[in-house]
Amino acid sequence: MNSSAGRDRRRFVLLMLTPATVLLLGLTLVPFLVSLAFSFSNLSLVTPDDFAYIWFENFGRMFESPEFWNAVRITVVFTIAAVAVELVLGVGIAALLHNETRAVPALRLIYLLPLAITPVAAVFTFRIMLNPSLGVFNYLLKQIGLPPQDWLGTPGMALTTLVAVDAWQWTPFILLIAAGGLAAMDEEPLEAAQMDGAGPFEIFFHHTLPMLYPYLAVAVVFRSIDAFKTFDIIFVLTGGGPGIATRTLNLLAYKQGLEFLEMGYAAAIAIVMLIMTIIFSQVFLRRINMFRPKAAL
Amino acid sequence: MINRNRFSSKGTGMRVSRRRILQTTSALTGVGLLASMPTRLLADTFDEMSDQWTSADIDWRAQEGSTIVLNAVQHPWTDAITPLVPLFTELTGINVDIQTQSETEYTAELPVKLGAGNPTPDVYMVWAIGQAITAGWLEPLDGFYGNSQLSDAAWWNDDDLFPSARSFQTWSDGVRYLMPITAESQILFINQPLLEDKGLAVPTTMEGLMDTAMALHSDDVAGIAMRAKSTGDSTWPAGGFIFTYGGAIIDLDGNVVINSPEAVSAMATYGGLLKNAGPVGISSYQWVECLNDFMAGAVAIGCDSSNFATDIANPDKSVAAGKTVYATLPQAGDMPIKPNMWHWNAGINSNSANKDAAWLFLMWAESLPTCLLSSAAGLATPRASAWASQAFQDRFGAQAADTALASLKAGDGDLFKATWFHPKGPQILDAFGIALNQIATGASDAKAAMDAAAAKIESDLAG
Repeated sequence: MNSSAGRDRRRFVLLMLTPATVLLLGLTLVPFLVSLAFSFSNLSLVTPDDFAYIWFENFGRMFESPEFWNAVRITVVFTIAAVAVELVLGVGIAALLHNETRAVPALRLIYLLPLAITPVAAVFTFRIMLNPSLGVFNYLLKQIGLPPQDWLGTPGMALTTLVAVDAWQWTPFILLIAAGGLAAMDEEPLEAAQMDGAGPFEIFFHHTLPMLYPYLAVAVVFRSIDAFKTFDIIFVLTGGGPGIATRTLNLLAYKQGLEFLEMGYAAAIAIVMLIMTIIFSQVFLRRINMFRPKAAL
Repeated sequence: MINRNRFSSKGTGMRVSRRRILQTTSALTGVGLLASMPTRLLADTFDEMSDQWTSADIDWRAQEGSTIVLNAVQHPWTDAITPLVPLFTELTGINVDIQTQSETEYTAELPVKLGAGNPTPDVYMVWAIGQAITAGWLEPLDGFYGNSQLSDAAWWNDDDLFPSARSFQTWSDGVRYLMPITAESQILFINQPLLEDKGLAVPTTMEGLMDTAMALHSDDVAGIAMRAKSTGDSTWPAGGFIFTYGGAIIDLDGNVVINSPEAVSAMATYGGLLKNAGPVGISSYQWVECLNDFMAGAVAIGCDSSNFATDIANPDKSVAAGKTVYATLPQAGDMPIKPNMWHWNAGINSNSANKDAAWLFLMWAESLPTCLLSSAAGLATPRASAWASQAFQDRFGAQAADTALASLKAGDGDLFKATWFHPKGPQILDAFGIALNQIATGASDAKAAMDAAAAKIESDLAG
């Protein structure tokens, strides 16, 4: 290839990459930099004329606030609980579906349906179903002679219900990744283990699961990041209550930004959330070292 | 067909009597009918009614050809005014682009738009008045009122607006920024057959309310439901309890008094009612749950906005239709009742490029003829004449209307404004909402919860 053709090719590649790069920078980097700038300011939409850079004051105020640490605790508990439940259920269902039967295509479709539903629409439906006096869940409990439950009324119950709704919505995501991992898996080590007399549980826990780790690592990172910033489920079902028992970091940022219009402080919360997410994903992936497939035998 | 030319100059100067307006609107039987009218019938309606607007000494065609954007919440006002807007367009030649959102979407999106200095919407429903005025998002209206081309004081008849509505228009600097578009007050609604089954009378005291709610409470029907969700917008009915007990949240001097003995007693009663006679799951109850439960017959007593009367009286939606008795908030001791109140308001975006057209829209939308039309659909407008109309009484229910009117007169607009119009109103109400939720669920006693709320509010106001 002569130098002119090489230049043309480079120009062509550059031209093709430009729209995507501009879009990416415009939609991610610019808002991030603006948020970062806001986080160092006292920007309030109520008093925009008083704008000033206050540098780390927002962060100091945040770290001194019990409300912030309460939100951190709730966010972490919710994230761990939701991802753990989804991981167990998703991998379990994927493993059961892996042994093909005639019902599998239909079952797979049913299990994947929650992923296809608009989250807010689904959550509003849950809100109606969870209504203590008119909802279907308490109606069913009454039909079998059990007392109605206050699904969102106490801190523990509210958090449990939120985790359950999140698991309903997102278990199929783990299922999808785990099913993909199972389909791509080399069957030979499993057959060898079977020949050696290993039982189904032994094969699953000692051979199948380790070989699934790389896939599950990706699923856990994606789901953890997503669960960490869950908003719609909590906003619609509890609004952060009872009290502030389910007020997560994202909800706190929303309240500060869009209800109280304290954009500087809200941006500082968002920046801290971003840093926490980056630290978690880096530490998780490096410590667990899941991207290196493990030998099954 | 409508002759546009006849509106090209100022009004005809013809005065229209109240009787004539009432005669015209009673013939319409309601805007619900108007909403489904074909274009021809709408034009007929316009021909029938046009002189009631053109009698104003206002140059309605002054902004002909312009288009304004109205941003509105999904709300009875929006439902009532939307089908009438073609009449405005015929009158003025101004097109109105109505953009409606749920309250959640609206309150999340509009501050960002306005904060960025966006020229649209031109007119919008104002949700947090203190915030909007402090941020400079509202155009002062006094100049428009004084503009002889765009306003006619005699035709407008300011005295016909409820005094509380007039007080809502004016900010602490004495300037009018808002146009009231609804009127609602806090009332009790009680399932009458359940009350009669127990041989009980409508409670007139707080103790009586507690006894009645307890007596009506059963496994199948809760005694009473009131808002208790842990959000700022759940606090409105509880505010009426505090005012009625002689307390306040923020007093008229701007002090935080949410943990005063009066406020604590009020919240102990509010929480006691819900703990002892409320439905399971009261923690997540917002107004919509309270209304739905009452309409489904799952709750015997409700205490919320008078605007619920339209839905409660609708037999297609409510099993309580025709079986509900309305009452004012009961007295606490021998103190006068001070139920909470609310007027939704609309205002003009200070960055709008179509302020005159926006003003003409507000003039038209809240004029007596338009209010008579919208009230015939059951909308509780801020005009006394509209409340007195037969069409409104038929749609809203005469007893509900009388009760709401009595409550409106008893309400204390200044106490309400001290909190709800505060520039940091959302922060104050958020702390109050958390306390309310903790009291209603028994997570905290009234004193401790209100002390914590006071500390949080003090900290927010200092910050």
